[in-house]
Amino acid sequence: MYALSMSDERQKPGPSGQTEADPAALLDRVARDRDKAALAELFAIFAPRIKSMMMKLGADAALAEDLAQETLLSVWRKAHLYVAGRGAVATWIFTIARNLRIDQLRRQSNKPYVDLESIEIESDARGAPSLLEESEIVDRVSRAIETLSPEQREVVRLSFVHELPHAEIAVRVGIPLGTVKSRLRLAYDRLRPMLEDLH
Amino acid sequence: MTIAFHPDISTLMAWSAGTLDEPFAVVVSTHMAMCEACRETARRTDLIGGALLKAETAEPMSDGALERLLEAADDERIDLPEPRGSDSVDPSVPQPLARYLPDGLDAVKWKFSGPGVATCELPTGTNANGRLMLLRVGAGKRVPEHGHGGQELTLILRGAYGDRFGRFAAGDLADHDEDVEHQPIAEPGEDCICLVAVDARLNFRSRVIRTLQPLFGF
Repeated sequence: MYALSMSDERQKPGPSGQTEADPAALLDRVARDRDKAALAELFAIFAPRIKSMMMKLGADAALAEDLAQETLLSVWRKAHLYVAGRGAVATWIFTIARNLRIDQLRRQSNKPYVDLESIEIESDARGAPSLLEESEIVDRVSRAIETLSPEQREVVRLSFVHELPHAEIAVRVGIPLGTVKSRLRLAYDRLRPMLEDLH
Repeated sequence: MTIAFHPDISTLMAWSAGTLDEPFAVVVSTHMAMCEACRETARRTDLIGGALLKAETAEPMSDGALERLLEAADDERIDLPEPRGSDSVDPSVPQPLARYLPDGLDAVKWKFSGPGVATCELPTGTNANGRLMLLRVGAGKRVPEHGHGGQELTLILRGAYGDRFGRFAAGDLADHDEDVEHQPIAEPGEDCICLVAVDARLNFRSRVIRTLQPLFGF
């Protein structure tokens, strides 16, 4: 049986029990000052969460940890490419982890994913930056996800956290593929007004 | 570029989640390189992943993991932005497709697949389930009417075609489910070249047409 952890969606305090530092400020210190203490704080926040996500999608502990390490090393090397105001640092790190997982776990010779920023780097059609703080962005998206129906939240989590293709979600939940897609569409319709001004 | 047809939002969500089979991911990424609106939508769907990552429970890292990371960070290497389009000699090939088509569209070795129709299969990784291919429909020619045994994504790279859904020109993406049947006809004047991802055998309706099944290489 497949246990969905619906109750673990609340943000955890940092390892010391204190409020975590703002990841955007930490990333800025990494980019500008090559500050390893800031990298260590980003590691403390994100590496255990990336490891957890990778294990949910089927990686063993050692591989999950390698992918978490690789992600943080990429954060160190790509920090100067992060465009402040283009979304939460958590989102940026999620996409780095996602792309590494696709390249490594599936051992693909090609890289079907590209960095959206690299596509846009010479484009003048950039959207307006968000004026919200990192934590506010993440809180608002998390609250928006809480407003989904249990059925919608289940398919969203199976897709984004467990990273199952739609066809596998259909088998896992025991619903037709078309129902998986329609639940995701309804979930997006619901989330959209709350996501609109956040990126 | 005015783009009228986009991937279904459930397809973009799968792109953000990273669960698309490689051929489909390539087609969506290539469309995104051509479509500002979908890049904006992907930023929104990426936010879902970011928030869920932040809400993940912590799985403790093993002892020494942080020290190993900091050691690796001693190497002062940094990543440069990926160069735009330079992976292909053909500047009209968008960056995500350039890795699959380094010699450009004009160097494609087409395989005859029926009157006015040619294809070229592009190599993908061993874990890909579906297939990625280029489809060229001669100006004014039609693709045999077909249904789909699964999802099919078709991105127009050059030229244009029309079917019962409308007119599809460069940058437009047709996102069809298994229950869709259609019969695209290329517009006169220019061959229509498409990038296609299919995950199942296409299902052609007439017996005559069935002889054209090599169209998609099956």
